[in-house]
Amino acid sequence: MQRSLRLDWQGDAWLGRFDAMASPCEVLLALPQTQRELARRLLKVAADEVWRIEQRYSRYRTDNLFAALHAQPGQSQRVDAETARLLNFAEQAWRLSDGRFDLTSGLLRQVWKFDGSDRLPTAEAVAALLPRIGWQQLDWRSDDAGAKGEITGGWLTIPAGMELDFGGIGKEYAADRALGLCLQAIPARWRSSGILVNLGGDLACSGPRADQQPWRVGVEAPEQEGQSALMLKLAKGGLATSGDSRRFLLCDGRRYSHLLDPITGWPVENAPRSVTVAAPSCIQSGLVASLAMLAGADARAFLEQTGLPYWIVDA
Amino acid sequence: MKSDTSLTRPGAALGASLAAIGCAVLQGLPNQAMAGELENWDFDAAVLQYTESNDRVEATEAVLGATRNFDSETSLNFKLTLDTLTGASPNGAMPSDQPQTFTRPSGRGSYTVEAGDLPLDDTFRDTRYTGNIQWSAPLGRDWSYSGGVHYSTEHDYESRGGNASLSRYFNNKNTTVTLATSLSLDVLTPEGGVPVGLSAMAEPGSGSFSVDFDASRDGKEADKQVTDVIFGVTQIINRRSLMQFNYSLSYNNGYLTDPYKIVSVYDTAGGTLQGYRYEQRPDSRLKQALFWQGKYQFDGGDILDGSYRFLFDDWGMTSHTVDARYRWRFGHQYLEPQVRWYSQSAIDAYQPYVTSAQLADDPQALTADYRLGDFDAWTLGVRYGYRFDEKTELYTRLAAYRQMPRDFGSDNSSDTTPADAGDLPEMTAVMLTIGGRF
Repeated sequence: MQRSLRLDWQGDAWLGRFDAMASPCEVLLALPQTQRELARRLLKVAADEVWRIEQRYSRYRTDNLFAALHAQPGQSQRVDAETARLLNFAEQAWRLSDGRFDLTSGLLRQVWKFDGSDRLPTAEAVAALLPRIGWQQLDWRSDDAGAKGEITGGWLTIPAGMELDFGGIGKEYAADRALGLCLQAIPARWRSSGILVNLGGDLACSGPRADQQPWRVGVEAPEQEGQSALMLKLAKGGLATSGDSRRFLLCDGRRYSHLLDPITGWPVENAPRSVTVAAPSCIQSGLVASLAMLAGADARAFLEQTGLPYWIVDA
Repeated sequence: MKSDTSLTRPGAALGASLAAIGCAVLQGLPNQAMAGELENWDFDAAVLQYTESNDRVEATEAVLGATRNFDSETSLNFKLTLDTLTGASPNGAMPSDQPQTFTRPSGRGSYTVEAGDLPLDDTFRDTRYTGNIQWSAPLGRDWSYSGGVHYSTEHDYESRGGNASLSRYFNNKNTTVTLATSLSLDVLTPEGGVPVGLSAMAEPGSGSFSVDFDASRDGKEADKQVTDVIFGVTQIINRRSLMQFNYSLSYNNGYLTDPYKIVSVYDTAGGTLQGYRYEQRPDSRLKQALFWQGKYQFDGGDILDGSYRFLFDDWGMTSHTVDARYRWRFGHQYLEPQVRWYSQSAIDAYQPYVTSAQLADDPQALTADYRLGDFDAWTLGVRYGYRFDEKTELYTRLAAYRQMPRDFGSDNSSDTTPADAGDLPEMTAVMLTIGGRF
């Protein structure tokens, strides 16, 4: 993959760009024009972290941590602290969603190809996959948290035939990590300058742009790709969208969401077209948006109860 | 099948658990919510060792700075400086083919300098403590201001003062215009009292020493005021380069004489030594300076920095300073060589020594302080820094300074005292700095 960084002055902020996780990525830095060198270094900090996470957890590589975990099915394996934190997050999300947010459900993509066509899988094909899906079948034992809540690692057994998929949280996690590392790296003098990390629509933001103006974020309209339907203002925190603007099936006039219910193996019914949620961090936004989609017709009621700002595009 | 309502119930409860699980997954990382509570202090510390050749002045300076950042433009800075000076400094007298004996500034005792040696006062020894507090903040969108106070004390000198500046941004902050002013009120309490300007130095061992010494003194303390005004323009040319231009005016008045400096008196130029007089400088000085600086950043991050300063004053001095440095970056490290050239002309009152005839004309001001004479100087330095991360850096700088006097008064006119540069004090110093920011 071409790992290049581009940095341009935007009139009142530096815009850094790179490609990762199959998405165009941006880092916006509300630094003065004279701080080009600092902007360049922060962009590199952010991009290196996103590339690191992509490299580590991508299921398309054969030489990474993800591949190593799957190379020994049925055996208890030691995982490191970062993986343990992600697995704990996934387990809690699975509990909160009554089993619908499930990192083991990626296998369903073997039969569900969301290419805009009308090719639905057969019920048998779907049913055949279900025995290999379900978080409860993993044996995941996290180490106890230390005094400050830190986790040192854990033991994981992935049964044969099952597969973990970090795709549902990877980009959001990477956005938060990239922003956090930038905040760690930036000198205190500049720390209140706003930084916004945008990984293909999953955003993490530390503060407003120059002159205390919020960043303006366009959320893609489901129907017209590339055209902003929603222009949101974000001054701090995370923003993530769960939706099917590009991934869906259309059969007999019915639109099948790309969001699959791991319990039935079929798309969630009556789910909104897309849900955008603002939360303190991107990974939280992503989780709430996914849980809302999984709630189907009750998405709006669910979002209301979270008390978080949200934007729904109805089907 | 579970109903969807089972999902809506955790909606409210989710708020609480969400925070916990969101934090756990980002363990140890500053996040958006915490950004405001992060450590907002920057610290810097440095130690400078300054050593002149031939056992002359040796100085150690330690600086500790702390800055509380409120945002990128609002900060409160505290700085403490400790200087210790030891060694010997030229007292102004010319070398002689005979040993020379001088009264110590305190009037208690004397010191003798061998024939042919440059007379140095070896009682030069002091410790100075300085404190600064500076506040900087924006004023609306297009203005910013800064204000500060300082206080310093050493055993024979005390200084207190304040400064204020106002900046206005134009052209989307590409142009900054700054007006700054500072005022310093200083009090000198020299060893042995304030010498009477141009009075004769009492001769050690003479029968009338204490009467002569008292006659050469005029009270215990003297004061001076220094007022500076600077007008500056900084222009960002493009994303790689910027330029700065300053005009500064400095007005000093009060006691501007160095109470420890003397002037050798000869019967005629190149004749026989008659004695020594305390120096005397005018009681006001107006200095003006023009300063230009340009910086250019190259693609790889290297920075070229050049500056030129022209200074002139109503004492008759002009000086030129040219400075160039190049910061070469490689990975976490940088290397910055520096070269500086300085050239100054003597003030009107400078004479390497004075003749009896000149003294009979009752001069108003007279000094043999080599720092006010004709000289050229160069500095060669190199700084090396290692950056652990954006805010943590260790650096060291080594610099050599050489000051070379020029022949004085070669025109041999009657109102000047010719001297060969070889008889005038020259000086070489080495400076080593070790510092860090964290």
